[in-house]
Amino acid sequence: MPDSALSLSSAAIGYDRKLVFEDLSLDIPPGQVTALCGPNGCGKSTALKAMRRVLPLSRGEASLLDRPLSEWPARELARELAMLSQTPEAPGEMSVEELVALGRYAHRPPLSGRRATDRAAVTAAMSAVDVSDLAARPIGALSGGQLQRVWLAMVIAQESPVVLLDEPTNHLDIAHALETLSLVRHLSRAMGKTVVVVLHDLNLAARFADRLVFFRAGQIVSQGAVGEVFREEIISEVFGIDCEVRAEGPEGRPFFLPHHRAVRQAAE
Amino acid sequence: MSIPLRLSALALALAVLFLAGVGVGSSFIPPERVIAALFGAGERTDGIIVWNLRLPRVLLAILAGVALALAGALLQRATRNPLASPSVLGVVDGAAVGVLVFLFAFSDSANLLQVSVLWQPAFAAAGAGVFALAVAGLVWRDRGDPMRLILYGVALAALANAAVVLMLIVGPVYRSSQALIWLAGSVHQAEWRDVAIVSAAVAPALPLLALMARPLDQMRLDPLSAFATGLRVELTRAAALLLSVYLAAAAVSVAGGIGFVGLIAPHAARLLLGTAAGAQMLGAALLGGAIVSGADLLVRAAFQPLEVPTGAVTALIGAPYFLFLLTRVGRTHA
Repeated sequence: MPDSALSLSSAAIGYDRKLVFEDLSLDIPPGQVTALCGPNGCGKSTALKAMRRVLPLSRGEASLLDRPLSEWPARELARELAMLSQTPEAPGEMSVEELVALGRYAHRPPLSGRRATDRAAVTAAMSAVDVSDLAARPIGALSGGQLQRVWLAMVIAQESPVVLLDEPTNHLDIAHALETLSLVRHLSRAMGKTVVVVLHDLNLAARFADRLVFFRAGQIVSQGAVGEVFREEIISEVFGIDCEVRAEGPEGRPFFLPHHRAVRQAAE
Repeated sequence: MSIPLRLSALALALAVLFLAGVGVGSSFIPPERVIAALFGAGERTDGIIVWNLRLPRVLLAILAGVALALAGALLQRATRNPLASPSVLGVVDGAAVGVLVFLFAFSDSANLLQVSVLWQPAFAAAGAGVFALAVAGLVWRDRGDPMRLILYGVALAALANAAVVLMLIVGPVYRSSQALIWLAGSVHQAEWRDVAIVSAAVAPALPLLALMARPLDQMRLDPLSAFATGLRVELTRAAALLLSVYLAAAAVSVAGGIGFVGLIAPHAARLLLGTAAGAQMLGAALLGGAIVSGADLLVRAAFQPLEVPTGAVTALIGAPYFLFLLTRVGRTHA
């Protein structure tokens, strides 16, 4: 297995003519959960989109399994690399099973019906996120947490070794966020997938990721194992706030408490 | 009711409308005699009426309905917008401009065309294509905002309409009356040649549609999600739009401005059959054929001996339906 499942080297990435990254190099190690963190507008979602070839690179190179990303045919790439966008959409009258089956697009030959392997993948994906009993339900009738699990099931049905997730806990309350991220970790631990996830909540990132990458203004400030980079001075630099990091949080992971600068100055 | 059963019911309804359409007219022919005449048996006069007068008209109505419904279904999928349809987006009026330009440029004072009538569909397609491209170009800048798509379409349709009215007024009277009949959408002058043109145009589109069923299924997802599952979104969208303009132009060029079928048929098919492309598009085609042939039948049964344009009837039903949809747009996606 190569050292990195997915890598960007000296990449310039942006929208229209405005570059978000001038020179980004990033290696994603296989089999782990890597969380991309940073303030709004720092480029973490942009980096994720470049990894999925949604955004073309202006300069530099992106590669998957040591083959340039631009050389992969669309369907072949989708069998290796799935992505859940921030605000996925589908008609509300579609059933859960119908939606999950859309994850099989890259596997099904163009004119064939749904084959046994496709049905098995859909069934397995629905049971992995525990929505089997909702299979016939229209997705418009689901709660936010259920819907997010169904979208994850669609991604799982794609059976790609690498999965990219753009803020999967957005709009979820804390209970559903924990549940969703447990599933994300399950993708890596039990299914052996490489996961890259954009996360806003630092405590959730520290708790569920193996590695963290901190971005600020189109630059990587720091990256490494959670234990190495989840430090007060790094978080302070990235977000421009004061904070304290406690080493022993839930599941032996560190966690942090933010101090608004003004609050601390007042206390002093 | 299962989906195959619902599709069979639609097919049956279309068959009934077909028989009624062939039977009803200035002289009524009961269904058993219609069937006999279709198979070459029965009375000679029945055979002449059925084969020479009624059949081309009914077949043209069905074909035009099928083509317009498929055009609408493609447009609604490509834009992910339930309000999109060939008439709302200026495609039908654009085709009208193309046909008027053709009629005015190539007919002499005796009202005879100087070139083959087979060029008419090409001009209709060109007109439809220009207006479709204009809408696409405008909406491109807004990254496909669904409401703006409709507004641009309505505005450009108004522009095309203005061009049509202007041409009718400044153009010579004899050409105007010929154009007016065509414009309102009418199949009552249908000949076998018209049926041949539309079926020759629609037939090659059908295998393409079958090939596109899976990509179109995938277009139910937002573009980013669809792309992530392996779909070539831009290619699919472009192919669907092209095919849609082509089908709409094929229907409109011969049968005239039959509006709103491309809106109602795919939408009703989605309500009846769900969002899977194969069943929904098949259902839309059946419904489209039924709506236009039904409207034509209504015109003949209710307004005889006046020949009211079929397009007037479909618009009378379709426009209120469009308003109804407008009031509930935005509630259809999760």
